[in-house]
Amino acid sequence: MAQTSRLFHIIRIAFAVIGALVVLFLFLNHSEQLDTPLMDYFTADFFAQTGAQNSVAAIYLNYRVFDTLFEALMLMVSVMEVINVSWANKHAEKYQFEKDDFNRKGNSEIVVRMVGIIYPFVLLIGLYIIVNGHVSPGGGFQGGAILATALITRYLVYPNFDLDLHALEIVEKILFLSIVMTPVLYVFMQIQPADTTISHQIYMVAMNSLIGLKVFSGLSIIFYRFVFYEGR
Amino acid sequence: MKPLDFITGEIVGILLFFIGLYGLMTKKTIVKTIMSMSIMESGIFLFYITINYTVGSVPPIGQAQEAAFVDPVPSALMITAIVIGIGVTAIGLTMFMHYKQKHGITHWSRNRDQTGSDH
Repeated sequence: MAQTSRLFHIIRIAFAVIGALVVLFLFLNHSEQLDTPLMDYFTADFFAQTGAQNSVAAIYLNYRVFDTLFEALMLMVSVMEVINVSWANKHAEKYQFEKDDFNRKGNSEIVVRMVGIIYPFVLLIGLYIIVNGHVSPGGGFQGGAILATALITRYLVYPNFDLDLHALEIVEKILFLSIVMTPVLYVFMQIQPADTTISHQIYMVAMNSLIGLKVFSGLSIIFYRFVFYEGR
Repeated sequence: MKPLDFITGEIVGILLFFIGLYGLMTKKTIVKTIMSMSIMESGIFLFYITINYTVGSVPPIGQAQEAAFVDPVPSALMITAIVIGIGVTAIGLTMFMHYKQKHGITHWSRNRDQTGSDH
């Protein structure tokens, strides 16, 4: 029995190594350069067409906005799954925290002080990346992740469960509705003013802010659920 | 060709993908399976982000045309894929916690009494 399992182990290792070697060999020797019509189309005149100087933002907010819609749906579905398919829902009595024990559990003084200093700057750079996402590297996804990092550092300093996750979930659903409605009205149905130079910018900033807040609330809900409900 | 020239993003991405595949094949712990899936995802992200890169190209920001732009399409695809990867990992971990609390399963095994192994 042990002999066969050992043999299977070696076979699996050999399978992974041979697969990697075959793919690497094919990639290095037989990969061909394809034309890039999508890149040529997207980088030709994206500033005049979409109002974004960052062509990645132009793609995921204007050219391929369907991707963003379904990504937002996917994140919301996963958040709903994390909240609803959880053992802690039906067995809430097992999840009472000892508050005095939980308060400042094992946090070093250095971490607490330094995070307290860094905290507003993390918030600031998150908001900066969200708002300037269409003219510089950044965007809603990255800025939202940084804002969620700010909340996670808050957990390091102040590990208490005083956040209303239910309200945050409702906020996320409303944000998802706005994320769906804004491109549908503005991009698909073309409800735009005649001169679109300013309205394109407004659309970019608004969509980046909505996506950033949605990613922020989604990641925070996932993090706090995992820390306080799935933690044992 | 110097040896360091082989260490490009695509090759590291392929290797990461197969490291994750090896973990999926050999490890019997469910948490390690989810970790292997994340490693495979990281390999795919790295492969896509560095694909179609030519030396000396600039980020696709602004209208300055002194050099060629980097391909923005894979970056825009991977931005959404990274967030979806977080969602998939969260779903997997939540399901694992549920099964562990309800059935006591932590390993992929037909023998339910077997609670631990060396994998």
